[in-house]
Amino acid sequence: MQRAIEEAGIPTIIIAALPLVVRQSGAPRAVAPLVPMGANAGEPNNKEMQRAIVKDSLKNLVSIETPGGIVSLPYEYVAHV
Amino acid sequence: MSFTVVRGLQSEIFIPTVPPVFWTRVSKSLNEMVVALVTAGGVHLKSDKTFRLAGDSSYRRIPGDAKSDDLMVSHGGYDNTDVNKDINCMFPIDRIKELAKEGFIKGVASTHIGFMGGGGNIAAFTEITGPEIAGELVEQNVDAVLMTAG
Repeated sequence: MQRAIEEAGIPTIIIAALPLVVRQSGAPRAVAPLVPMGANAGEPNNKEMQRAIVKDSLKNLVSIETPGGIVSLPYEYVAHV
Repeated sequence: MSFTVVRGLQSEIFIPTVPPVFWTRVSKSLNEMVVALVTAGGVHLKSDKTFRLAGDSSYRRIPGDAKSDDLMVSHGGYDNTDVNKDINCMFPIDRIKELAKEGFIKGVASTHIGFMGGGGNIAAFTEITGPEIAGELVEQNVDAVLMTAG
């Protein structure tokens, strides 16, 4: 999906919980906070963490210059299930 | 030391390959960008049709001004516990609105997109759904897309 949008001429970045899967699929740009699948944008009801992840993702949209670049983000949420 | 060369010899070990990259250069600064959200997390309006939980390659439009309380998830491929508590942890619609209000980005797209990733008919996603979603985003002139998936 990300590839299709990028091919259409719109720059994209993906917030990935599984960066290796994302790399394998050929994502143009990605960020990877330490989050479980299903809370990619951060802990539920933690506005501060979500905000920081969204903001850093957008900054990386501009700063990643290598196709396929994946940047780790320093936020961690562990879901206790 | 010399090596034995056998022409056409292929490894029997599966080596994963990465597809060729698509790349669009960023030409604007963030405060000049209208940003759309696209998620594979199965997000849609509560009033919209739910996804079939196993294999659904359709997508849903989500208005940019939709309230987070009016959204829900139907996705059979991940634990929905967190996203049921707060849709923003998979679809940060309130956070992106706040960033637009503050001027960190220029604006929020009039329509976001939700689909159900994690498998299904990959050919349909690649050949039909992907280009359709991309077409919608191009039509509304968004400058960038923030995705959550994977």
